[in-house]
Amino acid sequence: MDPGLLAQHAFNGLMLGVIYALVAVGFTLFFGVLDVIKFSHGDVVMLGAFTALAVSAGLTGAGVMSHPLVLLAMLVIAITLMAVVGALLARLLVLPLRGAPAINVLLITLMAGTVIREGVRLFYPQGSNPKPFPRLLPGGTIEIGSFTLRHDSAILFVIGVAAIVGVYLTLARTRLGLAIRAVAQDPETAAAMGIPLTATVLATFAIGSALAALAGVVNGLYYSEISFNLGLLLGAIGFSAAVVGGLGNVYGAILGGFLFAALQTIGAVALPFASAYKDVFAFAAVIVLMALRPAGLLAERSAERI
Amino acid sequence: MVTGMKLEVRDLTVAYDRADVLMSVSLEASGGEITCLLGANGAGKSTLARAVLGLTVARAGTVLLDGEDVTREPTHRIVARGVGVIPEGRRVFPKLTVAENLHTGAYLVRDRSRVSARFDEVCELFPRLRERLTQLAGTLSGGEQAMLSIGRGLMGSPRLLIIDEPSLGLSPRFVKENFQAIRRVRETGVTVLLVEQNVHQTLAIAQRGYVLSGGRVSAAGTAEELKQHPELIAAYFGGH
Ligand SMILES: Nc1ncnc2c1ncn2[C@@H]1O[C@H](COP(=O)(O)OP(=O)(O)OP(=O)(O)O)[C@@H](O)[C@H]1O
Ligand SMILES: [Mg+2]
Repeated sequence: MDPGLLAQHAFNGLMLGVIYALVAVGFTLFFGVLDVIKFSHGDVVMLGAFTALAVSAGLTGAGVMSHPLVLLAMLVIAITLMAVVGALLARLLVLPLRGAPAINVLLITLMAGTVIREGVRLFYPQGSNPKPFPRLLPGGTIEIGSFTLRHDSAILFVIGVAAIVGVYLTLARTRLGLAIRAVAQDPETAAAMGIPLTATVLATFAIGSALAALAGVVNGLYYSEISFNLGLLLGAIGFSAAVVGGLGNVYGAILGGFLFAALQTIGAVALPFASAYKDVFAFAAVIVLMALRPAGLLAERSAERI
Repeated sequence: MVTGMKLEVRDLTVAYDRADVLMSVSLEASGGEITCLLGANGAGKSTLARAVLGLTVARAGTVLLDGEDVTREPTHRIVARGVGVIPEGRRVFPKLTVAENLHTGAYLVRDRSRVSARFDEVCELFPRLRERLTQLAGTLSGGEQAMLSIGRGLMGSPRLLIIDEPSLGLSPRFVKENFQAIRRVRETGVTVLLVEQNVHQTLAIAQRGYVLSGGRVSAAGTAEELKQHPELIAAYFGGH
């Protein structure tokens, strides 16, 4: 294949990988601290994207034309609001079910996700239709042979990678990160060291949901379109990526995100006659992977959690 | 020197499901003393330690720290009053490094220079830990994990230290080192509540003690008194 085209596919794959990794890290963090699967996570991604869209519509309506300003406002507001939503979901739905079977949390968050999704569909103006997402990033391109790098994609890629690195450093280097890892390994002993369990769990859900909001905004800016049900596929992909990487393991989730994107890209390239089936190809490959490594790719290390 | 915290447990009753594990247990521990809690397996010693920390909910009774009722407080608030914990089974965080484990013990200390001073003190107490600061705690030997657990419990400069069977499964040499470390801690004025099976060594360093059997205090007194006490022998060899 033409190297330029190959590079094009590789970059598209990396871009998707960043979005998936952002979603997958949330799943793995929630599982790490509470051993639960929060199925509303994909819909929080979507709600983040719609929050951003509403902010942009509001600011544009108010006459704010500066793209960087609108972008900044939508990132800050969407991320902050989703962090609060994530913490609230944890406080109201997940924490009260501590001690109940994990399946109950799965069910209740599945329903919460449906409520969020249908809520957006009903209450966002013409919520059932796909919505154009504003193009707020510079539109130029860099051409290298047949490889075209759009400026906006490059910027999104950098933002996404920076967020992933930021979360990694937060977990590895900060006091909060130490608390999160301690709670993930042994909540009772963590409490006996003076680490507040509830606050740490809420902070973890806030961080995971903030990443989800970022994933939603990046997704919107990348595809220039969002719809109320985008969380279904992104949630399924993020969840698969986290499971493939080894639930509870942050590196695994990041790896899983990029792996899923690579599978999709390979599917799209290998099945040019039917690239619509790239998701089918990627999910089928995940099923095969799970059969081969039931505990996830980083299985040995996944026992260590986060 | 520190001023040890006064621990008072009054009429504490704890039940798991149906079975009463502690029935109206009362005890006290005060500053500069090692108060030991002796008793056969299953007597309820760890349950008492857990109830003091709020890890197990008491059905009745009160726990007072320096005269304040903490019975219904969450664990992290109780610990924030100045309690250090060396839990049963060591419970080091296996996938945190030795240094990170020590830092969890100082989670509530905001002053970084105090943390690093304390860190150095603990490393001095257990030089073997200093050589292994970047090693994952789960890969330490049992004895090293015991040292880490003790060191971690000291990191927050506690005024009350609750220690549950620090010598379990250790070679005699490690047991001796650990007991010496505990003795040095109490010499700084800290209140120590020591749960132990190792009667002779414990009574050698403790000032006073309680014997639990069948969920009740069956004997109490100074270490000297307990050494002579027939109940103590009964608790260990005669069952309850
Ligand atoms: N979570 C629990 N659920 C039910 N029963 C429990 C629970 N924890 C402890 N018990 C029971 O309570 C009793 C006292 O246990 P505890 O751990 O306090 O004993 P102990 O004196 O510390 O014993 P050991 O010296 O063996 O550590 C035991 O019979 C134990 O089986
Ligand atoms: Mg015990």
